[in-house]
Amino acid sequence: MPEMDNSTTKTHNEFSEHLMFDPLPRGVMNDMVMESMQTTSWKFWVIACFLGIIVLVCLFGAWGYLINEGMGVAGVNRPAYWGIFLVNTVFWIGISHAGTFVSALLRVFKAEFRRPFTRAAELMTTFGLVQAGLSIFMHMGRVWLFYFLAPYPNERGLWPNFHSPLSWDFLAINTYLLASTMYLFLPLIPDLAMARDRSKGWRKIFYRTLALGFRGTEGEWTHLRSAMNIFAFAILPVMFSVHTIVSWDFAAAMRPGWSSTIFGPYFVIGALQSGIAAVAMVLVVVRATMKNMKYFIRPEVFDSMGKLMLIISMSWAYFFFNDYLVQWYNGDKFTDILLHFHESGPLGWMWFMMLIFNVAIPWATLWNKKIRRNPAILFTVGFLINIAMYIERYVIVPISLTINRMPFTWRMYKPGVEVWLSLGTLAFFILLYMLASRIVPLVPVWEVQEGQMAHSLRKVGKATVPAVSELE
Amino acid sequence: MDNMKTLLALFDDIDPAADAVEKLHYLGISNDQINIVSGIPVTEPMLGRPHQWTNVPRLALGGALAGFFIGLFLSVATPLMYPIHVGGQPLIPIPPSIVVIFEMTMLGMLVSTFLGVFLDSHFPSYKPKEYIPEISDGKIAVFFSCPQEKENSIIAALKIIGAKSVEPAEAQQL
Repeated sequence: MPEMDNSTTKTHNEFSEHLMFDPLPRGVMNDMVMESMQTTSWKFWVIACFLGIIVLVCLFGAWGYLINEGMGVAGVNRPAYWGIFLVNTVFWIGISHAGTFVSALLRVFKAEFRRPFTRAAELMTTFGLVQAGLSIFMHMGRVWLFYFLAPYPNERGLWPNFHSPLSWDFLAINTYLLASTMYLFLPLIPDLAMARDRSKGWRKIFYRTLALGFRGTEGEWTHLRSAMNIFAFAILPVMFSVHTIVSWDFAAAMRPGWSSTIFGPYFVIGALQSGIAAVAMVLVVVRATMKNMKYFIRPEVFDSMGKLMLIISMSWAYFFFNDYLVQWYNGDKFTDILLHFHESGPLGWMWFMMLIFNVAIPWATLWNKKIRRNPAILFTVGFLINIAMYIERYVIVPISLTINRMPFTWRMYKPGVEVWLSLGTLAFFILLYMLASRIVPLVPVWEVQEGQMAHSLRKVGKATVPAVSELE
Repeated sequence: MDNMKTLLALFDDIDPAADAVEKLHYLGISNDQINIVSGIPVTEPMLGRPHQWTNVPRLALGGALAGFFIGLFLSVATPLMYPIHVGGQPLIPIPPSIVVIFEMTMLGMLVSTFLGVFLDSHFPSYKPKEYIPEISDGKIAVFFSCPQEKENSIIAALKIIGAKSVEPAEAQQL
C-alpha cells in the first residue's frame, strides 16, 4: 500500500502543472483575483496616461479635424473610396471574433483549458466592436447625419433599404455587440457578487449595483446556467454571420478580386486568425503584468492557444489559396491584372509579408511544444500574425480598389488623417482593456473552481490518467 | 407559523450538504422549506433536491418568434409601405430578406434570454436577504425553516453530519 501511495503522489505532482489538478481553496483564489485587480503600480498609470493622450489627440482630435475639414483630409478618393477606415472596421471585427469563439465554442465542446481565460477573451470582443463601430462612423464623414441609418418616418418618405448589404452590416454588428456584451455580463454576475463581498467604498457600491442582488440560490444558478447554454450555442451562428456579412459587403460587388463565393468563410477564418493570436498576446501580457496571474494562466494555456493558432493558420492558408486559385483560373483580364498588382505592384512587399507572417512563421514555429509554451515567442508570433492580418485587409480594401474595370481611374491610395485615427483606435482598445482590468475580475473564479471539482485522477490498469466528470 | 425559525447551516463540501438535506427530510422538513445557496452551480441531483423550474428557454423561444416577426416586418412590410425599386431586383427579394430575418430572430432570442434571467431571478433586487459572504468563498449554505421546538435536535444532527456552523439566518444588506 505505501508503494501505491507513493506512485499516486508522484502522479499527482506530474499533473500539478495543470490548473485543474492544482486546486486552491476558493477563498484564496478569490483573494488572488481581487488582489490582481486592486494592485496597481505607478507604471500602469503612466502607460494609461500616455494612451489617454494618444486617444485624445489621435482619435478624438484627428476625428474633430476630419469633421471640421471634411473628407478631403483623408486619403479616400476615386477609385479607393474605402480606405483604412474599412480596413480598421474589418480588423477590429476580426479581433472581436476571438472572444466569442474561445468562450462559446470551447464551452459548447467542454474544452477545459478555456476556464481561466474566457473573460479575458470576451472583454476583447466588446472593446474590439467599439473600435469597429467608431471606424464606421469615421468613414461616414458627415457623422452628425448618422440617424439617416435608422428607420424612422421622415419628410422624404424614405426608409432604409433593409435589403442593402450595408443594412445587413448595421443589423449584424449591432446584434453581435449586444449579444457579446450580454454574454460577457451573465457569467460575470457571480464574480461581481464575490467582489461585492470583499470590497469597501466606491467599489462596494459599484459591485453591489452590478451584482444585482445575486446570492447563488439554486434558482439563480439554474436560470444563469440555462441562459449561458442558450447563449453559447446561439451566439456562434451570430458570430459566423457577422464576418460573413462583412465579407458580403465586398463579395456582393462585381469588382475584380472581390466577387468571390468563398469570401464568407475566408473572412471568418481570417477573423479567427487575428483574434486568436490577439487573445494569446493579451494572455501573455496579463500573465506578465498582473499579480497572481501566473497561477491561473499557465504554460498549458499557451500550449493550447498555440495549437489553435497553428490550426487556424493552416485553415487560413487553405482558404487564401482556394480564393486565389479560383480568381486566377477564371481568366478575367482585370482580375489577372489585379493579382499581378498584388504580388509585383509597388506594395507587393506587403503581399509577401502577409504570407510570411501568416503562414511561414506560424508553421515553422508552432509545431514545437517548447515554442508554444514560451510566452515571449508566442507573443511575437501572435504580433506578426496580427500585422499580417492587418495587411491582408489593406490588400483587400485599398490596394484591390486601385485596379478596376476602368483603367483611366487607377490611382494609388495614400492615407491621410486615417493613419492617426488607426493609432487612436488601437490606443483606445488597449486603454479600455487596461481600465477594465482594474474593475472586472479577469478570471471567472467560480468556473475555475467548478472545473477543479470536475477533474480527478483515475486508475486505468497500471496508469493513472486524468478524468473529467460531467457536473452539469 | 409563528413558531417557525429560519436557520442557516454552513458546509465546506457537497457531500455533507447533501447528507444534511437528506437528514432534514428525515426530520420532517420539506423541500419547500429548504433553500441552498452556493458559490458554484451545484446541481439539484447532487443534493437530492427537486428540479428547479426555469422559464428562460421558453422566453428565449418567445423572443426568437418576436424577432422573426420584426425581421419579417423590416424586410417585407417596409418595402411595401415605402417602395424603393432597386434596378433588376424584386421589391421583396427573398435571399436578402433571409439575412435580415435571421439577424432579428437571433437578436430577439438572445435579448429575451438575457431578460429571462432578470425576470426569473427577480434581478435587480437590493433588499436585505439571508446571506453570508462565506458563500462566495465556496461554502454551501443550507437555509431551512423549522419549528422552534425541533431547533436544538436539528442543530445537533447537522453538526454531527459536518456542518461548520448552524445559526439563525439573518437578512443583511448585500
